[in-house]
Amino acid sequence: MQGVSHIRIERLSKHYESREGRVTALAEIDLSVREGEFVVIVGPSGCGKSTLLYILGGFLRHDAGTVEVAGRPVTAPGLDRGVVFQEYALFPWLTVAGNIAYGLTSIGMAKDLRAGVVERLVKMIGLGGFENRYPRELSGGMKQRVAIARTLACDPQILLLDEPLGALDAQTREVMQDELLRIWEATGKTVVMVTHDVTEAVYLAQRVLVMSSRPGRMVESFDVQVDRGQGREAVMLSDEFNGIRNKVWLAVRQQAIAAQ
Amino acid sequence: MKGLVQKWGAIVLGLALWELAVVSRAVDPGFLPAVHTIAAALWDLVTAGEVWTNLFATTYRALIGLAAGTAVGVLVGMLMATSRAANGFFGPLVAMTYSLPKASLVPLFMLWFGIGDLTNILSVLLATLLPVVVSTYHGVKAVPQVLLWSAQAMGSSRARILTRVLLPASMLHILTGTRIALGFSWVLTISAEMIAAKTGIGKLIFFYGESGAYAYMFAGIIAIVAVAYAADRAMVWVIRDALHWEDSADAADAAGAG
Repeated sequence: MQGVSHIRIERLSKHYESREGRVTALAEIDLSVREGEFVVIVGPSGCGKSTLLYILGGFLRHDAGTVEVAGRPVTAPGLDRGVVFQEYALFPWLTVAGNIAYGLTSIGMAKDLRAGVVERLVKMIGLGGFENRYPRELSGGMKQRVAIARTLACDPQILLLDEPLGALDAQTREVMQDELLRIWEATGKTVVMVTHDVTEAVYLAQRVLVMSSRPGRMVESFDVQVDRGQGREAVMLSDEFNGIRNKVWLAVRQQAIAAQ
Repeated sequence: MKGLVQKWGAIVLGLALWELAVVSRAVDPGFLPAVHTIAAALWDLVTAGEVWTNLFATTYRALIGLAAGTAVGVLVGMLMATSRAANGFFGPLVAMTYSLPKASLVPLFMLWFGIGDLTNILSVLLATLLPVVVSTYHGVKAVPQVLLWSAQAMGSSRARILTRVLLPASMLHILTGTRIALGFSWVLTISAEMIAAKTGIGKLIFFYGESGAYAYMFAGIIAIVAVAYAADRAMVWVIRDALHWEDSADAADAAGAG
């Protein structure tokens, strides 16, 4: 029953109406993601990469084409797809523990089971002792950890990450990138992430996809084969890494120039 | 001590000037009773117990009306913000009644519901309803899209999104509206009581005013000012407590200065 592709998008198009008339945001997008694969989409701002992610999340409707997850068409948000947004989107009136437990409560998990899951996730993101803090008391990096933990609590098969580290400072960003890699390796989830940071894309992804701007199309695809086991420094200083990074950077730059 | 002077200085100075103006006969005490005469009248009302029963009646009507107005207002505001049909239905009604002086309906309510609590409470309900509807509507509309999407992605039903996401997320707006409505509730209770009640501070003020006992009229005004002020401070405290999770600047804004 389960095919090779976990996510299958074929000839997807999305339009919206603006004052200047009909604008094509996404045109003829094809994308196939294998189960357990980490795919990162990069492109100039306004290329519709976030829109594509929102369509996958079931938040926005597409106008033409096929969008399937595990062989079923996407029509609405679902627990099989967990989403992390750039703005964290934590519930400010709930504590760290309350935020992580939110999804578990809405799916009706018993209270004592919930406590166990929350405890495990709080430990995983290294926020032990912060369970009763409110989001306003947390740093950006801590908030994003909570947002990721909250999404993992529902145990989705797919993680959709919309520029999840975009609001963080450079140092925190690197720490969180390694955190994401660790979580991905530990859980084996399928990840589709959107970012405008080329280095981040190549560091994280098994496959980097470059989109063009207005209308957004998939223009290039790069397989990233680096041994991540050797650690961040070795990876980022390696020739393979920098070779691919430069190619991706050039591809994105060409699209950005073409869009002007 | 310095803070105390800053806070009460203007009031004390005003009262002193008032007293001086009347005692020196610059102002006719027949028009404006001296402060000490009013104090004596207030003491009289307090010790005779007359002020308590009337204050109780007024506060009861104001707060029941406010509670009912807030409950209906939050419900209607949330419906309008989340359903296009509800917005189409209630929108024109709200727009039309928003600028209507609610006190003008008191005689009509009196005709329908007679003299007493019901007419008073309904007047307050109507007056408090609209600020709460409007603030709830704007509060819900201002909830970030990503909060809703997050809740949907985590398996929330529509009802759960309403009660667990939209309601707390718009609490700052709702409570700000309720605080404004609290002010309106006194206005409406007092004015309704003047014509449509046998008890209440409004009735008492009106009665003493009519009979020329101006010191007692002023005493009644002072009593209701004190209660309304205390109620507002309590409301501020409630807002701070309910919004303890907010960025402190936002919560302080909602609670107002002081």
